[in-house]
Amino acid sequence: MTSADEAKACCAASYGNDAVALVLGESYHPGGLALTRRLADRLQLRSGQSVVDVAAGPGATARLLATEYDVTVDGVDLGESTVTTARQTTMEAGLSERVRFHSGDAERIPLPSSRFDAVVCECAFCTFPDKATAAAEFARVLRPGGKVGITDVTITDAGLPDELRTLAAWVACIADAKPLTEYSRILGDAGFVVTRTEQHDDAIARMVEQIDARVRLLRMTAGKRLADAGVDVDAVLRYCTLAKQAIDDGLIGYALLIAERR
Amino acid sequence: MTGNGQVDHPGQKQDRDEVFVEFTKSICPVCKVPVDAQVNIRDNKVYLRKRCREHGWFEALTYGDAEQYLESARFNKPGTLPLTFQTEVKDGCPSDCGLCPEHKQHACLGIIEVNTGCNLDCPICFADSGHQPDGYSITREQCERMLDVFVESEGEAEVVMFSGGEPTIHKQILEFIDLAQQRPIRSVNLNTNGIRLASDTRFVAALGERNDVKDRSVNIYLQFDGFDERTHREIRGKDLREIKRRALDNCAEAGLTVTLVAAIERGLNEHEIGDVVEFGLSHPAVRSVAFQPVTHSGRHVEFDPMTRLTNPDVIKLLVEQRPDWFRKDDFFPVPCCFPTCRSITYLVTEGAPGEPDFGVLPIPRLLQVEDYLDYVSNRVVPDYAIREALEKLWSASAFMGTDVTEDRLRVAAEALDCADACGVNLPEAMADLTDRAFMIVVQDFLDPYTLNVKQLMKCCVEEITPDGRLIPFCAYNSVGYREQVREQMSGVKVADVVPNAIPLRQVVEDSPYGSKVAADRDGARGDGDGTR
Repeated sequence: MTSADEAKACCAASYGNDAVALVLGESYHPGGLALTRRLADRLQLRSGQSVVDVAAGPGATARLLATEYDVTVDGVDLGESTVTTARQTTMEAGLSERVRFHSGDAERIPLPSSRFDAVVCECAFCTFPDKATAAAEFARVLRPGGKVGITDVTITDAGLPDELRTLAAWVACIADAKPLTEYSRILGDAGFVVTRTEQHDDAIARMVEQIDARVRLLRMTAGKRLADAGVDVDAVLRYCTLAKQAIDDGLIGYALLIAERR
Repeated sequence: MTGNGQVDHPGQKQDRDEVFVEFTKSICPVCKVPVDAQVNIRDNKVYLRKRCREHGWFEALTYGDAEQYLESARFNKPGTLPLTFQTEVKDGCPSDCGLCPEHKQHACLGIIEVNTGCNLDCPICFADSGHQPDGYSITREQCERMLDVFVESEGEAEVVMFSGGEPTIHKQILEFIDLAQQRPIRSVNLNTNGIRLASDTRFVAALGERNDVKDRSVNIYLQFDGFDERTHREIRGKDLREIKRRALDNCAEAGLTVTLVAAIERGLNEHEIGDVVEFGLSHPAVRSVAFQPVTHSGRHVEFDPMTRLTNPDVIKLLVEQRPDWFRKDDFFPVPCCFPTCRSITYLVTEGAPGEPDFGVLPIPRLLQVEDYLDYVSNRVVPDYAIREALEKLWSASAFMGTDVTEDRLRVAAEALDCADACGVNLPEAMADLTDRAFMIVVQDFLDPYTLNVKQLMKCCVEEITPDGRLIPFCAYNSVGYREQVREQMSGVKVADVVPNAIPLRQVVEDSPYGSKVAADRDGARGDGDGTR
């Protein structure tokens, strides 16, 4: 396995295992349902359209889009068990006709070319080791004029300062985050025109606060077991403080980006 | 300013100095006649203004944070129909209580006032109770009827509260609790000043036994306003500090769960809000605190309606007094009633304040509450079991010490969705969470100045009357129903109580009970121009 493959497999598995997933759960993404709706509104989703959700997790976004926007959704996720959970929950919600899930990789999306009206990708693009290939895949599955909507972690043009390197090692989604201009360039190279960008830094600030709160809760309820498992709670809380400071200083942010396939 | 929100500049068009946001109905605080009312926003505060043809204009502050007021509209849950209504629609709200078929919500909490007599004569008492020779006490038969009406309306009822007067001095109060426990009512709350709990340990033990009845609980709602001697003297007329401590220790001994209930008045005890929370977190019997800006119904000290305390003001004071523990968005509006009536937060705690490992964590920081309780934006929510759990927690029927509230805390913990990572199953680890959970409620009741029928129509806290009606608590206290029931029950004429508000100085006089009533003279007529 290459190190890139390892990073990817680790990330997919980790939506349930690493520090962020441990405390936030796999359905979490910054901004919650409100930012998902905003993304859908910015994509101008219309009844009857077909949408791909890349890194769909357990499918909360896919079900929301199908229910509130009357679209069909094909969700793709790398984790087998995540896909199984997503299918099960969707069946229970009576949405299996309109919401399907596929086990697969963002760099080899298991769906046909030029078929879809929109691609959504929430808090996941930053974790893809080969972003150029993933962007090319978004372009391939979209029909001409189709749109991709991304919400994701951003860092400043100057990159992360040294004191945040440990933080990056700890939080998968910060490790390979890029400046917004870089995301735009990657999409541009893949044949997209970026039509809209918005900053939603509050969303990631709130995420860090939730991590902080949940780690403190874990320490209260299961302090000994955490220690036995080798989790250094104090270190995690220190990273949270660092991350909050970095967000306040504008070093880490969260952005919404819409791009249209030429 | 005149009643029209205008500034006078002849010859030039001027903008009004306020944003008009609602047209509603209220009552005249002097004669209680229903009148049209408007809600306006100035300087990020919400005011209700109205005019009585006879008594002129009146205006009062109703919410200290206009942005939050507007924002909270999203957290308004669709109401639930009760099984029965007790009255018909005839004259319109608030004259047909209740509940009439136009009422928008069932009763989360029913209140039975067992007497008007009290072993205190507090300067502040919305029930206008005390050592009075001409009040009433309900009989066993009346209590049964009141409980039956509540059960007919609710089916399985969550909570009934026995109040007064002082319910612990009613000779049959334990029998009344038994009657409630024999019916499908899960919990009984006893609303008390604590004097009997401090001295009569056999009585406390008898309450403890009833708290141990299977699938039933008895919880104590203890009046507790602060720690300064002045606070006690000015709100209760007596220094009760030692009595409160003994009452609490006796409750702890008997295994009873206590909510500290603090009436907060501007200039009196607003500096003690943080201290009350800290004390509650330290005492083994206390699992929640309820803050209530003093209700300017019944008997109270003179106040200014334009600077009265509202829910956001109380939350702001708590945050200022304990900045390391709280922020204002730790509190969430309660969706079952009108969201501006009540805000709640839950804490998970570790240790006691002052101990080295003490920790306090507001639950709303752990999950995205609005993803579940925003009823306007959300047509789908991530998990309906979690929504249901949060609805029960953010409800007027939520009381610590009840099985329902503790079960829902467990379900909410499961919402944390971090099963079995690093060898820690969080929901399992949280199984003993309820021992560490603590609830803080902030509830601003309506008074004759602030009454807005929009809120009354969705009220879920109801006074159960001996004649078998369920009357929204704030209507009961503000519109004249309390006086009507007292007159019916005691056979003694009772005049409508008028707020002891600075702008009404000229038009009120003392009632026999220490409250104010409309003065019986022509001077009571307003000029219809200036705002009171």
